[in-house]
Amino acid sequence: MLFEEALFVTVLASTLRGSMPMLLAALGETYAESAGILNLGIEGMMVAGAFASFLVGLQTNMVPLGFLGAAIIGAVLGGIIGFLVIGLRLNQIVVGLGMTVFTSAFCNLLHRIIFGSQFPMLWGAGMTTEIPVLSKIPIIGQPLFNQHWLVYVTLALVPVLYFLLYRTSLGLRIRAVGETPWAADASGVNVYGIRYLTIILAGVLASTGGAFLAIGDLAFFIPDMVKGRGYIAIVVVMLGRWNPIKVFLGSLLFGFALSLTSALQVAGLKVSPDFILTMPYLVVILTLIIIAKSTSLPAALCVPYKRGE
Amino acid sequence: MKKKIYSLMICVLAVCFLTFNAMAQNPAPKIVGLCLPEAGTDKGWNEQAKVGLEKTAKKYGFKIMLAEALGYGDIKPTLRDLVKKKCELIITHASGYQTVSPEVARETGVKVTTVENHKDVTQGLISDIDTAPGPGAYLAGILAGRMTRSNIVGIVVSAEPPTWNRMSAAFAQGLKSVNPNAKLLYSVIGEDAYADAAGGKRNTEDQIAVGADVIFGQGDGASFGMLQACSIKKARDGGKVWFIDVIGDKRSIDRADVLLSSILFDFSVVYDEIIETVIDGTFGKQHWSSVSNKAIYLLNPNKAVSEKIKKEVDAARSKLLSGEVKVMDIVTAADLHKYLGESFPK
Repeated sequence: MLFEEALFVTVLASTLRGSMPMLLAALGETYAESAGILNLGIEGMMVAGAFASFLVGLQTNMVPLGFLGAAIIGAVLGGIIGFLVIGLRLNQIVVGLGMTVFTSAFCNLLHRIIFGSQFPMLWGAGMTTEIPVLSKIPIIGQPLFNQHWLVYVTLALVPVLYFLLYRTSLGLRIRAVGETPWAADASGVNVYGIRYLTIILAGVLASTGGAFLAIGDLAFFIPDMVKGRGYIAIVVVMLGRWNPIKVFLGSLLFGFALSLTSALQVAGLKVSPDFILTMPYLVVILTLIIIAKSTSLPAALCVPYKRGE
Repeated sequence: MKKKIYSLMICVLAVCFLTFNAMAQNPAPKIVGLCLPEAGTDKGWNEQAKVGLEKTAKKYGFKIMLAEALGYGDIKPTLRDLVKKKCELIITHASGYQTVSPEVARETGVKVTTVENHKDVTQGLISDIDTAPGPGAYLAGILAGRMTRSNIVGIVVSAEPPTWNRMSAAFAQGLKSVNPNAKLLYSVIGEDAYADAAGGKRNTEDQIAVGADVIFGQGDGASFGMLQACSIKKARDGGKVWFIDVIGDKRSIDRADVLLSSILFDFSVVYDEIIETVIDGTFGKQHWSSVSNKAIYLLNPNKAVSEKIKKEVDAARSKLLSGEVKVMDIVTAADLHKYLGESFPK
């Protein structure tokens, strides 16, 4: 039928917007995994961020405070995971999954207690910010330069986080802790401190990603709205091989594939929706197969560290 | 005197007959379990079941044991748990439970009610609720066909279960009946994307981008995203994008006033029927939620709908009830795609 300009513009805009929750979560996960912590609690952190942002935003009627609330909750959850896997040296997979199950259920429970069967909307959430001049560029102007402010911040964060991880001594220490923590420790690096720092950062970014979903893209919270985006973020990190720039590209790829699922149906392709809907996952699986050979995990990923052992 | 004796005898016999009948009836269950795949507060499919059963419970005086947010996987442990907790009847409110529910009913002997699974109906053990929402959706299609300005109407669904498919087909039929030149767009968010509000918003925005100005959304939680997209996006002519919802009533959150109507379900009607069968000993039937038994009805349309259109919808309802108009019953996704492809060629 029509792959017309208006649809192209919408696809471009929704690619960017749709990839943001995953990108934020994946950027945090990149740091945590680079330091040797596999954070499977990422999905739960996103749910908690989505709920906290909505609750705070609604109570204060100030959307930015919602994002702040999400970041604080994320830091707290990151700290808790850190204490369990760094302090108590518990199994990272068990702790992460436990965190996801607990936070998801707890947020649903709180939602039920606070709102009952009401689903209020946070009016004013999801508003976009138009960048003068650039937003007037034909075709790409609106989708790229009329986005939520957090989209611009996240895009700016990508090179900053890349620079920090690969061009600074802090980044070198983080990677060293993820590869050979004992050697890093011997050379004076605070292994515990670095790991706490990265898991808290992962919590902040994952929760902010959840918040973007609830009050950046949408304007409400509903249980289960994260829909596995946290787990996709983990795949994207592997896809991007712990490099924030590549993680960004991986998130965009998945976001684009997701956008195509609706665009291709609307465009009128005579293909079964069932096939179209499998595309994002096919893309991810194919990409993983292609790059899997050259992927090597951080050597100390999931390995608890104790000085002297 | 004879007359009086005869009258007395008839009265005594009548009293005996009534007493015998009353003694032959079974009591209503004391505890009824309700299994829901999502939260019972979703302003949609799950909440309507919960609200409906609460209404019936009040009428018959039983206690509800609610198990919600169970997902779409194997719920056998939950069912067995409900049996242990002395549920005498368990309503499993998802088509996805149609395999495990009869299994547990046969295993434990506890009565179970399934959804969209009439093939397993068993006297005294398994009853089934099928939904015939077609007539309601047909009326919604007429409303859409009359309210569209661009002649492009969209359907967005969060999955393709039989109930959604039936409604999509009937909606298309209603649309076609009053506006044969209309284009119909059809998008599926995902396999079971009932809570994917972001997906609902994305799909709706795409349809609006290519000109749709009336969206018929079937999504549970995902429909909040559809409503938001209709609220914030303008149609190509700068006017409103109307939203037709299903099952829930979202007027309280429709600040942009874009909700055109909604196809509402009142499950208490079939739950009452089912409890009655438990009492009279005929449990194990196929029950229908439909427009004819008032289990399904159209929410009063938005005030922007003219009296003329309302009368047209009312006239169509009369024709449906009289049988003058038949709504087609398409159940599977494959049949639906075929029907839409033939009726609205791209």
